[in-house]
Amino acid sequence: MTIEQAYQTLYGGALIVLILLIGAMVIRSIIGPRSTDRIMSVNMLGTMTICSIAILSVLLDEGYLADVALIYAMISFVAVLMMASMFVPSRPKAPKLDEEPVLQGSGGQNSDSPIQKAENGSDDQAPVPGGKR
Amino acid sequence: MTLEWIRFAIAAVLLVLGLFAFGAAVLGAYRFGFVMNRMHAAGIGDTAGIFLVIASLAVARGFEMDTLKLVILVFFLWFTSPVSTHFLGQVEYYTNPVLRNYVKKAEAPEQMTGGKEQMTADNSQAKGEKDAAD
Repeated sequence: MTIEQAYQTLYGGALIVLILLIGAMVIRSIIGPRSTDRIMSVNMLGTMTICSIAILSVLLDEGYLADVALIYAMISFVAVLMMASMFVPSRPKAPKLDEEPVLQGSGGQNSDSPIQKAENGSDDQAPVPGGKR
Repeated sequence: MTLEWIRFAIAAVLLVLGLFAFGAAVLGAYRFGFVMNRMHAAGIGDTAGIFLVIASLAVARGFEMDTLKLVILVFFLWFTSPVSTHFLGQVEYYTNPVLRNYVKKAEAPEQMTGGKEQMTADNSQAKGEKDAAD
């Protein structure tokens, strides 16, 4: 077994493991009960994709794939920020604790979103910190 | 020849550690039941996982220009991952009324003793994130 075959086996196995982890994160982003879960899953999925592109750049000995990974990192960061900024007002102000929350973002206005259901008090599945694990 | 195999062993150990960090992140995303806890687990993959895998690639590649690009990639992710995590925590605070009730309960003694509701409301965001991190 030469050294090139050893490297190919190592990084090929790493790619297979990363594919399994990416599939697990896709399932997590589907079953995530809240929008924040989905955005977080997409963030982690992007990190693993960047990792597999970087592995491919060494495995195939192509230098330009490192540039592709760099651009993918920037686009993934901007995408996560844009998805998250749909739910907060453009100039966030801390809401008073005694009032009902008023959502000014465009994303929280849907009637079928879990946020709206939790506000109406009909959703018992809303996560509580330190609650059901 | 022996030196090459030693280098391969270092690269393999770093790669396995990085994949272990990614696996721990995915396991945490499934095992925890709340978004803030899941973000804590995702931070492992964003920092330790990508650093160890890219370090393995840099050891396998040697001193080249592409190695510099990969190191720049690691530093970029290290700077942007806390920003997106903080922003996601902010979104969770603004959109989760259950979490806000929890923060209100935790701050009730301070409101009674302090007597300044406006200050408490202004500082509530940082306290909410601190409480959720605990």
